[in-house]
Amino acid sequence: MSWLISRISAFAYRNYIFAIRNFFTMTEIFFWPVIGIISIGIMSGFLNLEPHYMNFLLAGAVISGVLQVSQLDVAYGFLYDVWSKSTKQTYIAPVRNYDMIIGSWLIGAARGIIAFAGLAVLAGAIFKFNLPELKYLIPSLAGVYLTAMIIGIVVILSIMTFGQRIDIIAWMLSVLMMLICGIYYPVTYLPAWLMKIAESLPLTYFLEYFRAGYGFELTFSHTLAKGFALSFVYIFVLFLLIEAAYRRAKRTGMLIRLSE
Amino acid sequence: MFIIEASDVKKTYTSGFLKRRRVEALKGITLSIEKGEIFGFLGPNGAGKSTFLNILMGLLLPDSGEISILGNRLRGSDYPMKLKKRMNMCSGNPNLPWCLTVRENLRFYAMLYDIASRTREKRISGIIEEMGLSKYADTRFDELSTGNKQKLSLAKSLINEPEILLLDEPTIGLDPDISQKIRVYIKKLHKEKGVTVILTTHYMKEAEGLCGRIAFINNGEIKAQGTTDELQQAASAANMEEMFIELANKQD
Repeated sequence: MSWLISRISAFAYRNYIFAIRNFFTMTEIFFWPVIGIISIGIMSGFLNLEPHYMNFLLAGAVISGVLQVSQLDVAYGFLYDVWSKSTKQTYIAPVRNYDMIIGSWLIGAARGIIAFAGLAVLAGAIFKFNLPELKYLIPSLAGVYLTAMIIGIVVILSIMTFGQRIDIIAWMLSVLMMLICGIYYPVTYLPAWLMKIAESLPLTYFLEYFRAGYGFELTFSHTLAKGFALSFVYIFVLFLLIEAAYRRAKRTGMLIRLSE
Repeated sequence: MFIIEASDVKKTYTSGFLKRRRVEALKGITLSIEKGEIFGFLGPNGAGKSTFLNILMGLLLPDSGEISILGNRLRGSDYPMKLKKRMNMCSGNPNLPWCLTVRENLRFYAMLYDIASRTREKRISGIIEEMGLSKYADTRFDELSTGNKQKLSLAKSLINEPEILLLDEPTIGLDPDISQKIRVYIKKLHKEKGVTVILTTHYMKEAEGLCGRIAFINNGEIKAQGTTDELQQAASAANMEEMFIELANKQD
């Protein structure tokens, strides 16, 4: 057990240092999400939206910021090595992929909390944004963090399989998922085929539940149960897949190529 | 007592559409390495030296062949974690997380090896001092000179006090004086701690000065192995340089 804690702490420690020492990690928390909040707040004012609709949109902007920051940290757990060309050095040590994922996810969650607090306060101060009750807020945020882990693992899995040339998906995937899961609109508004896809993604349910806190009607039954059940299934399957990708990377030499 | 035994280890890299491009990196490596020796792999660039070391370290999977390290037979894709704890590796042209300082880098890797916090800091300070990096302990990796980066890479590979140390061209691209310091340190480490060292190089002097036995590898095959004298005799060469040219050209 101490092994596991030590290895997880090692990755958390490294992500923490990268987070406090690099300007781009600061902009992820304080620049892009703030721009999103201000743009949406002003647009909502211009459109003369009723307060609960404004909350609907601002909630989407806040969640978007939190998800992006948190999932990036999981991906960074692997990308810092890829960019440093030190992937080989890390895997020389007795580490498992889940050590890296969990360690970096913890820092992602911490950065996500900072982003959430900052954005909520800002949106509240400028646009009178209100947070939903804790019974809506806490499970929804927990779900967003699980989604961040899922997206981060998919990014790592993809880079381990196809190489550094596709590291751009670290920034693309979460945006795509937010689009499908109805970040600024109910998924019922989507075309039927896209709604089917949305139903298979846990984030859809967590966004729904978060907005239920503002009085919007839930589209799905057992929203939270479905969201968490799907999350755990995805995480379990992705942990298996990442082990398979790791074995493949050792067979093809990708692990070495990522260090050159 | 053999600490590493490899039998008929083969590795082919494939790439391109339908994996049509194939490079045979290892064509059947068989060798045994004794506990406590410094064993060298000598050979030209692209000979397969690093591929073999990466396989020993579990970073690459061989296509076929058998490998046993410290009594652990490597099977399939599983590489025992307990074995990784007893080994480490240092590569030439070192790369470590760029914005971590010397001390932070060592701390990160020490944590990966679960070195208890009370001994961790003491060990890190000891290694930093021993490698002559005290002045740079709080300098970021990307601000270090090439020589100091290499020293840090070597320091990192000693953090878990390994029984087997793999050194992949540890002095490549370094000034002669730093290269010499690193060689002296490797010798000291071997003498004082009895670490088994497996070294790849294409510097004859390095192989001659450090290694008890050497395998000359070219085109993925061991062309000759033995002591420096035995290799020179096998190639009918007057010195190591002649031997290198003779064995390297034999294939062609």
